[in-house]
Amino acid sequence: MANVLEKTGGEVARTGNGESRDTGPIFRPATDIFEKDDVVTVVIDMPGVRPDSVDVSVENRSLTVSGRFDSPDPEGYRRIHAEYVPGTFERAFGLPDTIDADAIDASHRDGVLTLTLKKSEAAKPKQIKVQAA
Amino acid sequence: MLNYGSSLAQWDPFADLRQLQSQMNRMFDTGARTDRDGNWPPVNIWLGDDTVVVTAEMPGVAQEDIDLTVRENTLTIAGKRDPATDDEDAAWHRRERPLGAFSRSVRLPLRVDPDKVEARARNGILEIEMGRPDAERPRKIEVKAN
Repeated sequence: MANVLEKTGGEVARTGNGESRDTGPIFRPATDIFEKDDVVTVVIDMPGVRPDSVDVSVENRSLTVSGRFDSPDPEGYRRIHAEYVPGTFERAFGLPDTIDADAIDASHRDGVLTLTLKKSEAAKPKQIKVQAA
Repeated sequence: MLNYGSSLAQWDPFADLRQLQSQMNRMFDTGARTDRDGNWPPVNIWLGDDTVVVTAEMPGVAQEDIDLTVRENTLTIAGKRDPATDDEDAAWHRRERPLGAFSRSVRLPLRVDPDKVEARARNGILEIEMGRPDAERPRKIEVKAN
């Protein structure tokens, strides 16, 4: 059951191999996106997902993140109350042309995925010096 | 746990103040999902023989920022979720993650010994294992064949 999601590195499209059918529901994770200077930061809640099972891929200006809840049930216990269930977090974002798709950094900490996106050189505002004639 | 005007013994002089505060909070709400109503984090409860486990889904809260209190059969999980950035100059495009202080009380199916509490957080899931006081463990009584 562990880690069936394969990392595609953004080159290969993830194929629907039917695995998601028996891994529970698919959730749309809560996301914060903010922009400062030339950096756009995307912060995504993915509780119970191990850092090595997070999948981030870019294809056709579309950024897709997914990760499967992989937190073991306490052993020898029976569940008597449930407010959350295991499943797969998945969400896609459209990347504006101003973002450099090759320069995306990802980190995962305390169940939160943080992506750092940089604006491409061409999209950065340029100061044009006016020459005195 | 709101018992407005139910009896004099439960009269709460701060109820109005709290209500005012919650109205103020709502007024200044930035649009982010906030959880001041005590329903966050979501929990699962697991029962063993002499122990009970509560697991809570709380992404973004570091282990050292979690405050746990156990009293008889009530577990309280409290803490604070920081915003993704404190930068005033940052432009927000999307703001869905819950933030701010939270406190959640969970009633347990058994009384637990505060000395028998063990908690660990991993990948945004907090697991709290709690044991029944020794005096309250069901005792096995041996039947002597005589």
